[in-house]
Amino acid sequence: MSESSNLNSGESRRGFLGSFSAWMAALVGAVLGVGPVCVGIYSFVMDPLRDKTANRPRKSRAGGSADADGFYRVASVDEIAAETPRRFTIVADKQDAWNFIENQAVGSVYLQKDESGDISCFHTTCPHAGCSVAYEQDSNAYHCPCHNSSFKLDGSKLEVDGSTNPSPRPLDKLDIKVDDANNVYVRYVDYYTGKHDPIEK
Amino acid sequence: MFGKLYNWIDSRTGVQESLEEALYENIPGGAKWRYVSGSMLVFAFMTQAITGIFLWMNYSAGSQNAWASVYYITYNMEGGALLRGIHHVMAQAMVCLLPIHILQVVIEKAYVKPREFNWWLGLVLMKITLALGLTGYLLPWDQKGYWATKVATELAALPPVVGGYIQKIVVGGNEYGHFTLTRFFALHAGVLPGLLVGFLVLHLAMFRKHGITAHSSDKRPDQMFWPMQVLKDGVACALLFGLVIFVAIVHPAELGPPAEPTEPYGAARPEWYFLFLFQMLKYFDGSMGWNNEFVGAIVFPGLLFGFMFLMPFIARIRIGHALNVLMIALVVGGAGYLTWEAIQEDNYNINNPDDTDSAAYKKAAKFHAEVARADTEFRLIDELVKDFGIPLEGPLSLQQKDPYTMGVRLFRRQCASCHAYNATGENAHLAIQGPVISAEAEGPMGAPDLYGFGSPAWIKGLLSDGENGIGSAKYFGNTSHSEGEMIAHIRDTLWAEAESEEDRKNLEVMVEEVSWALSAEARLPYLDYAGNQEKIKAGINHLNDDTLGCVGCHNYQENEFGYVFTLDNYASSEWLTTMISDPNQIYSEDWGTHNDRMPAFHSEATKLLTADEIELLVRFLRQDRTLLGTPSATVNPLVTDETQAETAEDSSGEDSIQEEAEEEAEDLS
Repeated sequence: MSESSNLNSGESRRGFLGSFSAWMAALVGAVLGVGPVCVGIYSFVMDPLRDKTANRPRKSRAGGSADADGFYRVASVDEIAAETPRRFTIVADKQDAWNFIENQAVGSVYLQKDESGDISCFHTTCPHAGCSVAYEQDSNAYHCPCHNSSFKLDGSKLEVDGSTNPSPRPLDKLDIKVDDANNVYVRYVDYYTGKHDPIEK
Repeated sequence: MFGKLYNWIDSRTGVQESLEEALYENIPGGAKWRYVSGSMLVFAFMTQAITGIFLWMNYSAGSQNAWASVYYITYNMEGGALLRGIHHVMAQAMVCLLPIHILQVVIEKAYVKPREFNWWLGLVLMKITLALGLTGYLLPWDQKGYWATKVATELAALPPVVGGYIQKIVVGGNEYGHFTLTRFFALHAGVLPGLLVGFLVLHLAMFRKHGITAHSSDKRPDQMFWPMQVLKDGVACALLFGLVIFVAIVHPAELGPPAEPTEPYGAARPEWYFLFLFQMLKYFDGSMGWNNEFVGAIVFPGLLFGFMFLMPFIARIRIGHALNVLMIALVVGGAGYLTWEAIQEDNYNINNPDDTDSAAYKKAAKFHAEVARADTEFRLIDELVKDFGIPLEGPLSLQQKDPYTMGVRLFRRQCASCHAYNATGENAHLAIQGPVISAEAEGPMGAPDLYGFGSPAWIKGLLSDGENGIGSAKYFGNTSHSEGEMIAHIRDTLWAEAESEEDRKNLEVMVEEVSWALSAEARLPYLDYAGNQEKIKAGINHLNDDTLGCVGCHNYQENEFGYVFTLDNYASSEWLTTMISDPNQIYSEDWGTHNDRMPAFHSEATKLLTADEIELLVRFLRQDRTLLGTPSATVNPLVTDETQAETAEDSSGEDSIQEEAEEEAEDLS
């Protein structure tokens, strides 16, 4: 090549990384090339993984939050129908990025009473891919509108003829407690979908 | 003059040499139409970059602003619909051109040695293009984009160990919110296009290094890229652009109702070119042990992609190229079949109108009902935006005050398991299906249809016999009152005793008049009471004279000897509020036909609905679309002789009614 003869002849003969200054130049170049990206990626990756409750305002007057064990008041015993599941909204304070919003609907659950009056609670999120299941009266079962998953009233998988049921597990059952004043509390948590076992987010 | 200027520029920039290098690429065998697909993809991307930047100038990421700004672009901005339409349609055109380009490369054997790197760069470009489609779908922050993209990000959590972290990083935390939009937007408008440009430059550099795969032939001489191939590419791109503009005008980009995290959308589907992946998930149901969701959503597509990556090496074995062609054909064919199947499943009810009892039919019918519901919700928010504008808090705050949007939602959730709302005519979009009652069902399974409740037409039906009368499913047919005193009186006494044609006609007139008189108690905002004074007055007289036997049981005005609820203020907003909150305050325990199954929605013991929600429902049932927080619609004055005299004397009569209405609204809230 004609250009090489124009270069400082001593260095070109020793090759691309043949000298200390070449190594230093490569190192500085690498730091400059990767450094800004690293700083950006650090925030991009680490911020979402951080516990966001730290952002909550210290002087909030809102009370719409869970108790120490993570239970939210959802309904009174009388509001739960005897035969058919009823959908209830979980209301709580919500931190969405830079906004703090009081008493927002943050999710929903199905509450139902069986014949003996025992109350059970299911998350409305389908364990398959996160669509919302809906209770349907005429088949007396929960159906997901996305990939055909169906569930019986006890939450277990329902196999419908001529259709697949890709859900990896039954509907997610949530813990409840009832106090003396007939208030029903639900420990509302989200689970990862698509896993064989329910794993809390 | 220009020649001199050109030389001056060229001597300093070398533009001539660059142009020559760019344009004088030899094409063995000459220019061909079938070489246009690559240029078309580049043109499509350029169009996306340019329209995208102009969309960006009007778009605001964030939960409150995203939908509002896309609404502005689509419906208010000068030329905005076309701009967004082109961006929307060209994205789909790009996805259509991709497999064509790939198939061409495979069939022409342009992926084998020495062009391996160019093939791999192409695969990367394909992935980036699909990622652009996925991220762009969420940005309008409407119900469809929100719920469909949610499935995609749920799948991100599937890989073991790291899945959860990946999901949080993509979503920007545990839940959808501002960060989901800001991240998706940065990916869609910054990271991905940047990567695409970078890889495209490499892809083109590789292409120029190796040249076109074709060999020279004796029949057709070689040609340079300029001008014949450039002309052909240009014509093809112009046709594409024309077609895209045409489609964008005929089928403008849609905007659904704003994303509402607590109102799941039951017809969430990804963009059509991802439907095959959506459909495939249904088959990975774990029935064979290994075929779980992780395999279906990640491993299997990953293996297919891995196979495509290895194709240049596979081509080295003897039947390798044939195998590759077969495999690509299978993938394209399989994806096409799955797409078709997904569409068939959603349209099952249309294609099989007689198979109404099957689960497939019901599911498809529900899908279409959800699509119709989204259309209704969009129409309602569109009307609200036109009337009130979008407040700073975003479109949801407007919806939450709207008796129609919330009325339909609350009715569907709390009332529709018993009541129907068979709205017709100009309100047909508000119709809500009641319970499905099979012929074999025993006992009371439903309740009256509440569309037009309290209107003269509704009351007249209640006081009539026959097909749509009191005994029909529209009124007491599916309730325990189907055997009660009211129905016995109307059907077996009133109408049974009107034997002659003339008697029936007289009775019909009287029923009409009584219906107007009772409806005047409801003071519904959409009725013309003033224009029906004669009927109302006649009806009031019938009631007071007990011509139809109403006040034998009900109280009304001066008649106080009845034993069931009073007809005073019947179906008024006060009455409805009490009825929904705690019906047992209206029904009395003393009479034979009591409250059938109506639960209390806001009593001491149960608070299934808040006071605001009940107010919204009441306004919805009264077809009163004044926003929550403002006084309900001014009630039509009951122009009796007294009030007529009053209004004649004192023009402030109207104000006092207004005040009354305001007080009422305050009491309720």
